Amino acid sequence: MKTAFLIAGAFANVLLVLLLAPWFEGILRKLTAQLQSRQGPPLRQPFFDLLKLLGKEDLETGEMPAVQRAATYLGLAAVLTTACLIPLGFGSPLNGAGDVILLIYLLTFCSVCTLMAGLASGSTFSMLGSSREVMCLVTLEPILAVAILIGAVHRGSFRLDTVLDGSVYASAAFPWSGLVILVVVVLSMQAFLQRLPFDIPAAETEIMDGALMEYSGPKLALLKFSQMAKLVLYSGLFVHLFVPWGAHLAFPLGWLLFWLKVLGVVLVVTVIAATHARYRIDQAIRYFAGLLLVALVALVLASYGY
Amino acid sequence: MVAREKLNQLKARFGPAIQRADLPADDRLYLFVEPAAMADICQCLFGELRARYVVGIGADDRPHSGSFLVAHNFAFDTDHLLGSVLTYLPADRPALPSIARHVPAANWSEREFRDLVGIEPVGHPFPKRLILPDGWPEDAHPLRKDQPWNEVPAGYDADREFAFDDPPEGCVVVPFGPFHPTLDEPAHFRLYVEGEVVRGCEYRGFMVHRGIEKLAESVLTYNDIPMAAERICGICGCVHNVAYAQAVERAATLHPPPRAEYIRTVMLELERLHSHLLWVGLACHIVGFDTLFMQSFRIREPVMWIAERISGNRKTYALCVIGGVRWDITPELKAELRQVLTQLETEWTAVTHAIESDRNLQQRMRGVGIADADLVRKWALLGPVARAAGVAIDSRRDHPYAAYDRVEFDVITASDGDVWSRVVVRALEVFQSIRIIRQCLDRLEPGPLQAEIHDELPIGRIGLSSVEAPRGESHHFVMTGENHRPRRWRVRAPTYQNLQGIPAMIKDQQLADMTITLGSIDPCFSCTDRLEAIDIRSGQLRVYSQEDLLKLAKDQWQ
Repeated sequence: MKTAFLIAGAFANVLLVLLLAPWFEGILRKLTAQLQSRQGPPLRQPFFDLLKLLGKEDLETGEMPAVQRAATYLGLAAVLTTACLIPLGFGSPLNGAGDVILLIYLLTFCSVCTLMAGLASGSTFSMLGSSREVMCLVTLEPILAVAILIGAVHRGSFRLDTVLDGSVYASAAFPWSGLVILVVVVLSMQAFLQRLPFDIPAAETEIMDGALMEYSGPKLALLKFSQMAKLVLYSGLFVHLFVPWGAHLAFPLGWLLFWLKVLGVVLVVTVIAATHARYRIDQAIRYFAGLLLVALVALVLASYGY
Repeated sequence: MVAREKLNQLKARFGPAIQRADLPADDRLYLFVEPAAMADICQCLFGELRARYVVGIGADDRPHSGSFLVAHNFAFDTDHLLGSVLTYLPADRPALPSIARHVPAANWSEREFRDLVGIEPVGHPFPKRLILPDGWPEDAHPLRKDQPWNEVPAGYDADREFAFDDPPEGCVVVPFGPFHPTLDEPAHFRLYVEGEVVRGCEYRGFMVHRGIEKLAESVLTYNDIPMAAERICGICGCVHNVAYAQAVERAATLHPPPRAEYIRTVMLELERLHSHLLWVGLACHIVGFDTLFMQSFRIREPVMWIAERISGNRKTYALCVIGGVRWDITPELKAELRQVLTQLETEWTAVTHAIESDRNLQQRMRGVGIADADLVRKWALLGPVARAAGVAIDSRRDHPYAAYDRVEFDVITASDGDVWSRVVVRALEVFQSIRIIRQCLDRLEPGPLQAEIHDELPIGRIGLSSVEAPRGESHHFVMTGENHRPRRWRVRAPTYQNLQGIPAMIKDQQLADMTITLGSIDPCFSCTDRLEAIDIRSGQLRVYSQEDLLKLAKDQWQ
């Protein structure tokens, strides 16, 4: 009985992400269009885009087709597994099966998959995109890890349901560390999601979508979908860590409130993306390094109970 | 007076090497010199007299004088003087010493007449093929008069490839183009990249050369050519249209009536308006700021609309004939145009304020793609690129044409020479254009639109004309000829010079800055290639091979 419940919950979460991610992407596009005095596509356009790509011929064009296939499928698999670990309006289905360390691994693994997809396709621009991806990965991923660790330190546990519940503010004294890391994560949110001004590894007008350049058809659909799902998952993670209030309300209310907050995060991300120019990789890395330093200070504060 | 002064200076120095001098007006000087003295005179003009190099022209003059002709054009901008140094070369040995070592800006011009006319610049520092396709045989030169305009020479090898130089050690080759999202037209930069830093590059362009000059010299007539000239470029077409007409008028000493001159000025400035608005948008798009890109296109739309109301076309106004213009600006159109300008001024003020205070944009654009005054002089860079480096050259003021001597405007300059300065210069020039159009509308007096031409145009005369395109000076050289068409017509668009400065501008910069640096000269490859886009009319799906396309093109002409 319990197993059946677990499977059903995981299934529900995966389905939610599958359905909502393109829709959020649609909202993002529509709002961007409105900000640019354009009409914009209908909200369901990303679904059509994905369906169209899925129906195309699956070309094997790169240097290492097997690696390319594996990277694409594993990337999406990692994203969907992450979806089972993060509570999406109700308790995390796989709460007992993993902890926040697994969550951090999985999120990093998604980026590594994109990276591999780029390297395996073997064109110059994919290589450039992948090398930029690596640079961002090594400076960005620690920031997210630190944020989660701060929560874990405050709560004294790595359990998903205890950490993903506003834990960054759960210090004994005034939550200095929580506030500092809030600022840091807000400032690096665009980079986690690879949106402007930090869409440097893709940078269409410079390196033509970088790692994804050589992809088309179903594989591109999966890679695109991973990106859309990341938008939802990172926003959800942000909500759980930093704006947890009202999460324990009764079912329809708490659930609705969670998704409203996610929508709010997506809207903010969209507005920032639409009003900024892209930074150069050297400017971005310097910026990330600064943020990482501040994040580490916050971790030290947290370990002293602030 | 200035022309005579310069002539006397050169005469004192080179004496008998100067065979003949023509001073048809005070702002034009044509020197006919000994081939052997050409290099020294050019060096003296560029080095000591501080002239700006404009363009080099090669011509096959064998049917008339039995020899080849080479001309190097120079400009004395502060003295309002355009000059040409010409020399005749024997038909059996068309070669002369290269000047590109002393006048770097002549690099492409010399390679061009080597390719197209077969005149050898001896001792050229980079004597590689520039224009002709890779498979073209070495001994065929399309601009020679004995080469038919509609025939591919024997020995054409479609499979031969261009031989690039080896990249420097430790560098990876990044192919930038022929097709790239930020290049609207095909051109190839082979970038040598070390990590994320560009160490050098080699350029291969002219991929869609259309041979419009050959057509003009062999098929079209004087009044057809303005329409063909207009199709050289999709953005600054009117500039070429006017520049050609003016060059012919200069050669034939014709004077278009004042009303025609004002109308030309209005249309040239309208073109600058839509071009600058487009460019600011594109620059923002290149650095990922799409919102401003879309907004500036929205603001630009009324300009296109009023152009269509006036001329019947959003672009390609079909404005000039020799000696005048083809249509009028009516009082109703004047009122509508004023309204468009008022709206544009308000909206553009808001945009410039937004741009000026945007730190994010400045971080991407300041200190990037620097071309300082020395580089500007070395490569004869033009337009906003030169003005952004503090070099105040502007053909509208320096070599006045149309009605520019009767209107007031400022030449906008900046001092840093980087991409940001170019943005500022272009953004502010929009206001100057609005100012010029308003003055023209105020002064537009009733009168004829075309000068009456009773006789055939004189033969063998030379005409030079510089028109300030949105990207810089467009220069046209015309030598009048028989059968109602010029013997030689040479177009030098501003991108032709500005592109030559790009390798120096991108050297040791981040790869990410390549696109915005290239974008900042507002490159117009069609102007350099002198090409036209192909329109595709086909309901059925069919894949054309290169041979099919060539056959199709030839069948259409026969």
